Amino acid sequence: MKRIAIDPITRLEGHGKIMIFLNEQGAVDNAFLQIPELRGFEKFVEGLPVEEIPRVVTRICGV
Amino acid sequence: MKLKLAIYWGAACGGCDVAILDTHEKILEIADMADIHLWPVAMDFKYAEVRAFKDKYLDATLFSGAIRNSENEELAKLLRRKSKAMIALGACAHTGGVPGLANMYTRGEILDRVYLRSESTINPEGTLPAEEFMTNSGELELPRFYNTVKALDQVVDVDYYIPGCPPASLQIYSALGLIADDMLPKKGSVIGAGDRALCDECARKKSEKTITKIYRTHEKLPDAETCFLEQGFICLGPATRSGCGSRCIKSWTPCRGCYGPLDDVKDQGIKMLGALASVLEPKDEKGINAILDTVVDPLRTVNRFSLASSMLRRKKT
Repeated sequence: MKRIAIDPITRLEGHGKIMIFLNEQGAVDNAFLQIPELRGFEKFVEGLPVEEIPRVVTRICGV
Repeated sequence: MKLKLAIYWGAACGGCDVAILDTHEKILEIADMADIHLWPVAMDFKYAEVRAFKDKYLDATLFSGAIRNSENEELAKLLRRKSKAMIALGACAHTGGVPGLANMYTRGEILDRVYLRSESTINPEGTLPAEEFMTNSGELELPRFYNTVKALDQVVDVDYYIPGCPPASLQIYSALGLIADDMLPKKGSVIGAGDRALCDECARKKSEKTITKIYRTHEKLPDAETCFLEQGFICLGPATRSGCGSRCIKSWTPCRGCYGPLDDVKDQGIKMLGALASVLEPKDEKGINAILDTVVDPLRTVNRFSLASSMLRRKKT
């Protein structure tokens, strides 16, 4: 199956790519939005003093 | 001739990119100074175009973000090969930054928390991201999520560092000027920052420090004029490079060290612990320990932005 990769997707905050699979007629068989990133704030803010949380989670997105 | 510039991000928040845009009307001067050949947050270029560049085609890459996964590392290596100068932009690329705090945990602990135990995620089948996944139409691939977060210079040779979380916009502007005017200092230098400790640029009044108690910010209102550390609030000023313009201090918030260590300091956190121990009123080990034991979460305080590049680097696994 023919594949079209849009990598990276742009003009947004964060990483992403789109994979499009075409069938033999050239029509879209399937398309996937993939997010190839994770930092894990959910884990590493655990146990952080509560007054420090605002200045850490502001680094989730700076845009 | 105009500079050929790439602006790229690894494990980042986009704040460094916004700091470039926050040069306001000077962004027009940057546009006069440089042609941008990759900048995912703001312009539409694809990786395939970068791969087609000749080696050293770019004059400089500004790389923000830490190295968290195999895609970050591959792009860092690709851009290193395509660039005459590799510049780490911001605390994450410089010293690992906030994403580096993940080094207190293992890869497995993070994936478990995020995908299996997150209160807002419905995942009854317990699906975790896979590097390869077969769909009905064909195979999909995702980058490898590493066990350890790294700073940029732990995976590629870095020529210069612009520190900060985020770097002060005018500091980025002046650093770009150094590139354009071919005035860069010796390789490995920190540019767009001071060469003294933040305390030297801080306007708060300092005298002999004798700390008898460490305070958290909700426990006492700081006075407006005195050094935070003297008042018992942990402030990383003594262990942090100047150049930020004392942004946090001016907002009544003690420093957490985003501008990184000074030259010749191997570990910002250890430097801060040394500075802290030396200003406590008790001078005996027992008395010092009694006060230091009251510091909540010392590691993520003194190595807030620098755990990945510290001597500890990560939790032992």
